[in-house]
Amino acid sequence: MTDKKHPSGQNHQDDQSSPVSRRTFLKAGAALTAAGTLGLGTRAAQAADKVRIGVLNPSTGTYAELGKNQTRGAQMAAAEINGSGGVLGRELELIVTDTASKTGLAVSKAHQLVSQHGVHFLQGTVSSAVSEAIEQASKDMGTLFVDSGGHATPVTGKYCNWSTFRVCTTTYMLAAGIADTLMKKYGKRWYFLTPNYAFGLTEQAAFESILKANGGTVLGSALAPLGTTDFSSYLIQAQAAKPDCLIILQAGDDLVHALTQVNQFGLQHKFGVAGGMMELEVLKALPESARVGAWSFEWWWNQPNTPHVKNFVDSYRKRYNGEYPTARSWFGYVATHSIAQGATEAKSLDAKKVARVMGGMELPPEVGLEPATLKFRADDHQLMAGIFAGEVKSGGSYPDLFNVLNYEPGASIAQSAAQKGCHMSMPS
Amino acid sequence: MELLLFNVLNGLLLGVFYALMAMGLSLILGLNRIINFAHGGFLALAGYLAYTLLPYLGFFGALIVAPLLTAVLGVLVERFLIRRLYGRDPLFSLLLTFGLVLIMEDMIRTVWGAQGLPLQTPAILQSALSQTYFFITGYRVLILAIAVAFSIGLLLFLRYTKVGLRILAGASDLDTIAALGVNIYQLRAISFAAGIFLAGIAGVLAAGWQGLTPQMGDALIMPSFVAIIVGGVGSLLGSLLGGLLIGVASGVTSAFYPQASQLVIYLIMALVLAIRPRGLLGKKGVFE
Repeated sequence: MTDKKHPSGQNHQDDQSSPVSRRTFLKAGAALTAAGTLGLGTRAAQAADKVRIGVLNPSTGTYAELGKNQTRGAQMAAAEINGSGGVLGRELELIVTDTASKTGLAVSKAHQLVSQHGVHFLQGTVSSAVSEAIEQASKDMGTLFVDSGGHATPVTGKYCNWSTFRVCTTTYMLAAGIADTLMKKYGKRWYFLTPNYAFGLTEQAAFESILKANGGTVLGSALAPLGTTDFSSYLIQAQAAKPDCLIILQAGDDLVHALTQVNQFGLQHKFGVAGGMMELEVLKALPESARVGAWSFEWWWNQPNTPHVKNFVDSYRKRYNGEYPTARSWFGYVATHSIAQGATEAKSLDAKKVARVMGGMELPPEVGLEPATLKFRADDHQLMAGIFAGEVKSGGSYPDLFNVLNYEPGASIAQSAAQKGCHMSMPS
Repeated sequence: MELLLFNVLNGLLLGVFYALMAMGLSLILGLNRIINFAHGGFLALAGYLAYTLLPYLGFFGALIVAPLLTAVLGVLVERFLIRRLYGRDPLFSLLLTFGLVLIMEDMIRTVWGAQGLPLQTPAILQSALSQTYFFITGYRVLILAIAVAFSIGLLLFLRYTKVGLRILAGASDLDTIAALGVNIYQLRAISFAAGIFLAGIAGVLAAGWQGLTPQMGDALIMPSFVAIIVGGVGSLLGSLLGGLLIGVASGVTSAFYPQASQLVIYLIMALVLAIRPRGLLGKKGVFE
């Protein structure tokens, strides 16, 4: 189910030959279009017997591809859940909407999903800025929210609260999963290329703290706005600093643009080029010569020794034209399954009851799909997902583009709730 | 000091590219009196067409054919949609072209996918010209050469060909040249197609430089609008000047205060509007 645009037919009576009414019509049309970007439209009849999850992912903008895969993962999970009897004997329905990674738009859609569509739970987001906003909104509404893909540490750190859970790792875990490898492989003088918002800034802070603790030097950083397409001036700065390693913290299309230009300038031959989060979507979008560096993956499709992974990959590919599941697909998949599992175990759709069950809840291996057993920590609601650290495979072809060198279980790289500034209090 | 030099040169390379896009926009604005919001959509479409054509035609083949196909589409759009709106409040064409952008972006997302795609450029252009000036790659020199060639070519075309002179004349007084028997429908179609062709060239060049994404046009088109306003609406030379100016300004700013590198172009625009409301080389009477 996607957004319904407003029906255009309703103004046809005004659309007569007179230029005045025609103009009125056009203006009304423009107003409607504007409203359409904000609204989901209302639906008169809601099936009362369904369990509904509102899915807030971007399907336009810099993070469109990442959002799409999170939605696909969620839809596959919903199909599996409905195939085995639904949630509490009721059919599970996903109501998917586009946030365009804009906080204001996402918050208003979250409110609409809850008040007009009667969704019981929320999941989604790619941008950390949106995650933080939805976290606040869901707390205000008393609705349970599972952040599938926004990484900024504060979501399960200083902003943590009873109603928000997170599947993907924190920015700190992304940094901690790969930092040692980077220091050993490239050296300890780093320059950062950082997207200028919650995700980039918190991830840079995490890398810096680890680097300094190990006696390394931060040479500087270039802060680029989200959605930057030309990185040439930032790369000139980076090159002037003569680092051992350029740490690139962009994601999505921004990372594609940055690495494409790094490659054009041949910078990967002058110093190390690496970073925190790499994704299959990004590697696929890069020309072969721009696929370089050591990175963290949060989930990898090729885990020959982990049970159930091959099954998951096969049924995902069957469902989506042979495309391989990415970490994003897995985020969406885990988020939906977690909500269903929480509701089933709580025998209720009440947000507080489900939240109490989910704090400390362990995921079955056919949902976790990692070498370690995964569970949501009770004291910050963070899933202890691991990091697949490794290197981009030179000369690889899709989907075999990455060599996993090391799997770091989440528990070994995560900060404690107290370190992150989270003081969880459950409502009575 | 070296850093400043680097950023000035880099800014010039950027500015030339903004100017290339701005000239197409400016051409359409001048004669057709259309604020073409869909310029970025055509730009992205040309890039994606080039991606599809590349295996058959090679890079340089695609660089010519994709913009030509886009220009043909541009003529169709002009014929069937935009033509109905000439002489009306600019709001109408603004709404139409704004809608077109959304349609084109979603069309690209449907046909080619939301995922970014790489446009493979010829290997010979991929390396930097020197170790010191690592940011001046063969490909960026190609962009520079093409942009300069098209700028000069367009100016010569407008100054020394019959059609060009008619476009120039039409831009300042369309009613009079219509009364003198010039087929202004044809003239508008030619001018629109030429503008879209320039957008197409810019799109293919941008695709090889940044990679393809469905919303690539959005990010690229805003500086071009600013270039036009700074240079003066209706003046092609002004657009060129405006493009270079904001390119260098944002390049230099990013050397000293990177956070402001996007802001600075709007500051320049505000400043120019405050001191010379018609832009640096703007003429009286256009859109007034």
